[in-house]
Amino acid sequence: MANRSGAAQRPNGQTQGKICQFKLVLLGESAVGKSSLVLRFVKGQFHEYQESTIGAAFLTQTICLDDTTVKFEIWDTAGQERYHSLAPMYYRGAQAAIVVYDITNQDTFGRAKTWVKELQRQASPNIVIALAGNKQDLANKRMVEYEEAQTYADENGLLFMETSAKTAMNVNDIFLAIAKKLPKNEQNAGQTGNNAQGRRLTEGDTGPKTAGNCCK
Amino acid sequence: MTIEMTLPLLKDPQMQFGAITFFAKQHQGDTCGSNGLPLTPNSIIIVGRAQILKTIKNPYLCNYLDIIRGKHERTIVVSQYCGTPLINFIEKRPFSVDEIKRIAYQTLEGLKVLHQRKMIHRTLSNENILLQANGDVKLFNYGLFHMSDMGSLVSFPVLQVLYTAPEVYLNGLSSSYSDPKMDIWSLGICLAELALNKVLWSSLKLGQKIRKVTTLLQVDTSIFEKIAREHNCYEQYLELPEDLKDLIEECLNIYPNKRPACDKLIENPCFADFKVKPTKTISKICEPFQIFTIHELYHLWQLAGGDVFQELKKQGLIRSSPPVLSVPSLVLIEGTILGQERNPSTLYDPRIVQMPLDSLYQRFAHIPFPVFYPLIHCKSEIIAKFDPPPYDATGLPLIIKERDPEYQLHRVILLRRLLHGYPFTKDLIFEEANKDIPPFLRGEIWATLLNIKANYDIEYLRIDKFTHTTTDRQIEVDIPRCHQYNELLSSTEGHKKLKRILKAWVCQNSHYVYWQGLDSLTAPFLFLNFNDEAKAFACLSAFVPKFLHNFFLKDNSAVIEEYLCKFSQLIAFHDPHLANHLYEINFYPQLFAIPWFLTLFSHVFPLYKILHLWDKLLLCDSSFPIHIGLSVLTQLRDRLLTSGFNECILLFSDLPEVDIEKCVMLSMATFKITPKSITSRLHENEMFHKKTELDITGIGLEELKKERCSRISVNDVVRLVRSDFEGVVLVDIRNHTVFSRCSVVGSINIPFSSVSFSENVIENVGAQASTIKSKGDKVLVVIGDEETDLERFPEFLLQCNISKVCVLHGGFNTLLPITPTILTSTISI
Ligand SMILES: Nc1nc2c(ncn2[C@@H]2O[C@H](COP(=O)(O)OP(=O)(O)O)[C@@H](O)[C@H]2O)c(=O)[nH]1
Ligand SMILES: [Mg+2]
Repeated sequence: MANRSGAAQRPNGQTQGKICQFKLVLLGESAVGKSSLVLRFVKGQFHEYQESTIGAAFLTQTICLDDTTVKFEIWDTAGQERYHSLAPMYYRGAQAAIVVYDITNQDTFGRAKTWVKELQRQASPNIVIALAGNKQDLANKRMVEYEEAQTYADENGLLFMETSAKTAMNVNDIFLAIAKKLPKNEQNAGQTGNNAQGRRLTEGDTGPKTAGNCCK
Repeated sequence: MTIEMTLPLLKDPQMQFGAITFFAKQHQGDTCGSNGLPLTPNSIIIVGRAQILKTIKNPYLCNYLDIIRGKHERTIVVSQYCGTPLINFIEKRPFSVDEIKRIAYQTLEGLKVLHQRKMIHRTLSNENILLQANGDVKLFNYGLFHMSDMGSLVSFPVLQVLYTAPEVYLNGLSSSYSDPKMDIWSLGICLAELALNKVLWSSLKLGQKIRKVTTLLQVDTSIFEKIAREHNCYEQYLELPEDLKDLIEECLNIYPNKRPACDKLIENPCFADFKVKPTKTISKICEPFQIFTIHELYHLWQLAGGDVFQELKKQGLIRSSPPVLSVPSLVLIEGTILGQERNPSTLYDPRIVQMPLDSLYQRFAHIPFPVFYPLIHCKSEIIAKFDPPPYDATGLPLIIKERDPEYQLHRVILLRRLLHGYPFTKDLIFEEANKDIPPFLRGEIWATLLNIKANYDIEYLRIDKFTHTTTDRQIEVDIPRCHQYNELLSSTEGHKKLKRILKAWVCQNSHYVYWQGLDSLTAPFLFLNFNDEAKAFACLSAFVPKFLHNFFLKDNSAVIEEYLCKFSQLIAFHDPHLANHLYEINFYPQLFAIPWFLTLFSHVFPLYKILHLWDKLLLCDSSFPIHIGLSVLTQLRDRLLTSGFNECILLFSDLPEVDIEKCVMLSMATFKITPKSITSRLHENEMFHKKTELDITGIGLEELKKERCSRISVNDVVRLVRSDFEGVVLVDIRNHTVFSRCSVVGSINIPFSSVSFSENVIENVGAQASTIKSKGDKVLVVIGDEETDLERFPEFLLQCNISKVCVLHGGFNTLLPITPTILTSTISI
């Protein structure tokens, strides 16, 4: 809306070499800070009064990892339970997911666990899942212990970090950690800007079939 | 005969206003509320709380007109200001007993209104009781205590030292003590000053004055008498009539609970001569009729260039100091700022700046009086001769019209009169709204366009807005993210109101559920009716069934999917080129248009754009939003056509500047020329879209999804053939034999089986290719029957970039029973 502006800040510059594209989806209860994390990662900004997300929003960001350029195509989804029916449309075929909860609210952690279960059941089998405990700057109002979340993440093979979209703490790091963990074999290397990207979202295509073709 | 100019009406001595200014309390450093969000600035809370003051209309109270925020928590209050403070007359001229009684009575009437609204004046004094030329009084600046939330939002004490009741001091100035009786004491002091014609304790210093007031608590005889003696006015005191003395004595009772309330004092027999019969007010969309209001005057004054800020600057009330002087001495790492305190004496400025009206008078000097009677249609020749020439603004851009004071004067005058006639003037309002809607009356006009009933307020009162529900958390996290750049919507008052309206809506619509986005949808109504929550609710409640029927069902996927299909089809109908491109890159409306239609763009555009968009939407029907969607795409067409999937979707994640006036024009244009059935839906509200067997019915979602070109109803085809034959091309794709037996007059035959679909070239249709290629903007109706494939051929035309292709719903046979017939020859069935 009116207050979205400002130049994009890239965490890393572009380099030559291998280019990989990955589709990443953000899931989690409403108002935990999904959109804020994306905004911080993509534009380096934070809005106290970030508008709620309806349906989903799409953004991209590119980071460099050694000699590889990793381009994230990010789907930021609506958090309200009701929009749940739309979620498969966005996580289908995703190679990575960040499941976000708010460390000051226990319920959102419970909801995050449900999302993890759903992803493990329904999404591509090789999907990289990261758990983000957001609003770390409000640690004095903490309701979810770090250890509790860490244990849960370990048990389920998830990346885990506490983040703050407000102070930028761990925001780039969590995306970077995901990029490191994603397979960057020949199959995934290729050019960006391919028109076929959108096709992976359509109902007819199923995740596994197209999961590997993100970079042709 | 001369025709009076309007000036006497505008120059009414009571049609004057002024401004005061003060600073709200500043929050310390970077503090957060319990929800982790930054604290709302106190000046915004004040703006929200002060809105209700604008609705107070009473002959003895100055009207509040506006509350404006400046930098650094500066707050400016604009209000009616006319007459002279009583203090200016004391010791200068005598007051008759009757005059004092009349002042007492009218002040009490004013206070009564405040107390009924649970507001306390707190600063009543002879400085803010204004005497009018006709002898009436008006209270000024009575809302400060209310807007500052009993003084808690400002860092100066809200009181008039000498007039403040002793119990206020005893309770401590920062306590939340609030008893309307304190105003009665202040009235007592005011009246004592008048009766003795003496400015009390004028030579004392501030601290001494406070001590004076508190020592009155120890007086065990008459307080009034004691005051009189202290001022050497005992003689005068004795001469006063008993009833006046008693009245003042009653007011100055040191026990608040023994001091009478307004209602009781007003009944005092000494006021018998001044009572005015109360007039009945009837609840209506509009308030009781006045030829011209001060609110209108203020609005026009602003349009004509009036600027409260500038006036305050001119008078020295606002001074800008070089920024270097406001640099703090020390900033701690966690954000606490030290050494930048404001000089306490500048926090509240007691001066009042009268706003100059001369340039407005000049501007309107040529406007004749009859302008105020735009509804008189039968006139004598003589009167008609003096009629003002109509003010012509047609063709001017909307933005210019909205800022033209003279045009707005005409509009506001006309439309307010029509609003008074609602519901009988409904059609006339609609007609005028079609031209444009004056922003000043937008809230009321929208309510009438939505057919709001007169008892809307009672209905709202009855709804449970407080019981906790499972939706509460979602509503609570959405409200602080909803149009928060707007002062009203980001104020505490705004949050509370929005929450109540949403809860009421959820409670009232048990078949629906709260979907994120409903908050944005409610925002424009709340913004326009900030002081009338019930009306905002009524508008929302009427709006949803008309434009978003079944969009808020728990499972709304069928409704939304259908809507999005229709959107795709409309793009194909008007812009096949764009439609083909978007189709090829898999850029589906599902990915970007859900927030557009679910919130009717209220989640994607800022408020001022939504208002203009909805001005037109309210005149149309539930298909209009699809046209708006198309117009947005059309504006971005060039970029979309040259972009791939990623660039397109990014474009919509960050919707670029969209010219809303262009948007409105484009969508009105396509809305008008598109046959209604092209956008008709299964899930339309039947209340607004009556259907017959000649309309399109019964198309399931699965079927619809396969069709890239829309269907058209028999009704529309017949209408086109009969009334606009030049605007339509009928392509009959049945085989030649049946075509020659019977067909629509003037239709052309391209047998389905004769066309090769191998490549997308229009020449493949054979001899008729040129007719189709040169058809221009005509609607192309494909007519087939059960034997023909009704998807392949129209899609082929679409792929050849032929515009306005649609398919006759039901095929050729539906045309047979039409009478009078549009067929070449009839066959017996
Ligand atoms: N203090 C704090 N607030 C945050 C943080 N991230 C988001 N918020 C706030 O939380 C609210 C919801 O954020 P949003 O990104 O809209 O959440 P979403 O619904 O998950 O997309 C907004 O008011 C943000 O300003 C954070 O790291 N710290
Ligand atoms: Mg969001």
